[in-house]
Amino acid sequence: MALVLYNYDLDENCYKVRLALSMLTIEHEIVAVNAFPGKEQETPPFLAMNPMGTLPILKDGDLTLFGAEAILAYLSRSQDGSGRWLPADGAGFALSMQWLLFAAGDLSVATRARANALFGTPGDEAALRAGARRAIGAMEDAMTVNGFAGQDWFAGPAPTIADVALFPAFVLSRDFGVDHDEYPALRKWARRFRALPGFLTMPGIPDYH
Amino acid sequence: MSLAPGWHPVALSGSIDPGTSAGTHLAGREYVVWRDNSGLAHVWEDRCPHRGMKLSFGFVRGDHIACLYHGWQYDTAGRCRYIPAHPDLEVPATITVPVFATVEACGMIWTTTDADPDRAAPPPGDGETVPVASLHAACGTEGLLDAVRAMPAAPFVAGTAGWELSQVGGTLWRLTVGGDTLLLGVQRLGDQRSALHVAIEGSAAIYAGAGQAHWHAWIRALRHRLGAGPAVGARPAAAMAEAV
Repeated sequence: MALVLYNYDLDENCYKVRLALSMLTIEHEIVAVNAFPGKEQETPPFLAMNPMGTLPILKDGDLTLFGAEAILAYLSRSQDGSGRWLPADGAGFALSMQWLLFAAGDLSVATRARANALFGTPGDEAALRAGARRAIGAMEDAMTVNGFAGQDWFAGPAPTIADVALFPAFVLSRDFGVDHDEYPALRKWARRFRALPGFLTMPGIPDYH
Repeated sequence: MSLAPGWHPVALSGSIDPGTSAGTHLAGREYVVWRDNSGLAHVWEDRCPHRGMKLSFGFVRGDHIACLYHGWQYDTAGRCRYIPAHPDLEVPATITVPVFATVEACGMIWTTTDADPDRAAPPPGDGETVPVASLHAACGTEGLLDAVRAMPAAPFVAGTAGWELSQVGGTLWRLTVGGDTLLLGVQRLGDQRSALHVAIEGSAAIYAGAGQAHWHAWIRALRHRLGAGPAVGARPAAAMAEAV
């Protein structure tokens, strides 16, 4: 039985998983969830899979997973024979985890800023934007310093699922009023990321660049 | 808010790859900085005359930049050359984007809005430079320079020279610390927004890698100082939050 992704196309956390499924060329089925305006992910059948009522959710046989970063970790460990998307060596693994946790934690303010801007979910717009700016600024610093050492990716010399988890917040930041002008290192990184085999866009990310 | 005469830095040269674009501001006005595929840099008004979309959101194809909305393509003189919805149309010569003189010097891209006759010579500097980074701050250019003056700095290469900040001219400053020389391009984005473009005047053989990281740490400390506020004058909390 194929993997099943419970998906909403405008949700950037779902997009992280769609990216990984495509870039790792993993066969899967997609179930469309009426997240807006239906809030279907907060109904009992979905709460049975994820009590927090968020997307994405991944089912693989008897295994049910929620949270994009955990799903990315599962896909890379169970489906990626090369092992490069989640490195096994100590530093490579820890740096991947650091940025995966950053994506799910510190950077999640960007997801809330975008939801506030696009869907009118509650929140202090100025504070959300300032928080997102700070997290994206931390990413810019990291990639600037990596660039001095000739390192093109967040967690090492090759792309990992950390890059996948970090990509949507930056590339969609114009949706909540944070332009790309001040982030040259991230612009270059995003351009490299877009050139990876299997890359796909989501609504809000232009096909042209 | 008017722009001072003379040349203004708008980006570090290395920040704009061939075939890419980015938006910026000078004295509150929007500009697009883009580099064609041959490597030549251009600074234009950041506005497609068709629907007002920012051209910095667009994409570069060869020596044309195209608007993201409807794909109108402009040549390097700013003249519209192709409208995808009307592929057979001979595009009227009146459809143009204002373009500004652009040069590269000191590891930075410079522009001026001065008319030809009273245009000063662009900043000197064809020696080797190594890029560090651009700092964006929620203060005016004077506040930014005050922060630089108050900021301790240690050299990467030891030398006999002490600490010295001197104005080369207009918006270009030179900071000497020990054996290091930094070029600082000061950009006035708006009334309370400014940018400092930092490049090392020296060879990549010496500064690439560790030397860049050394001076990047100085920029981060400078940014921290600017965010801390009191040292450079009181600013509203919201403006300080922007200084990250």
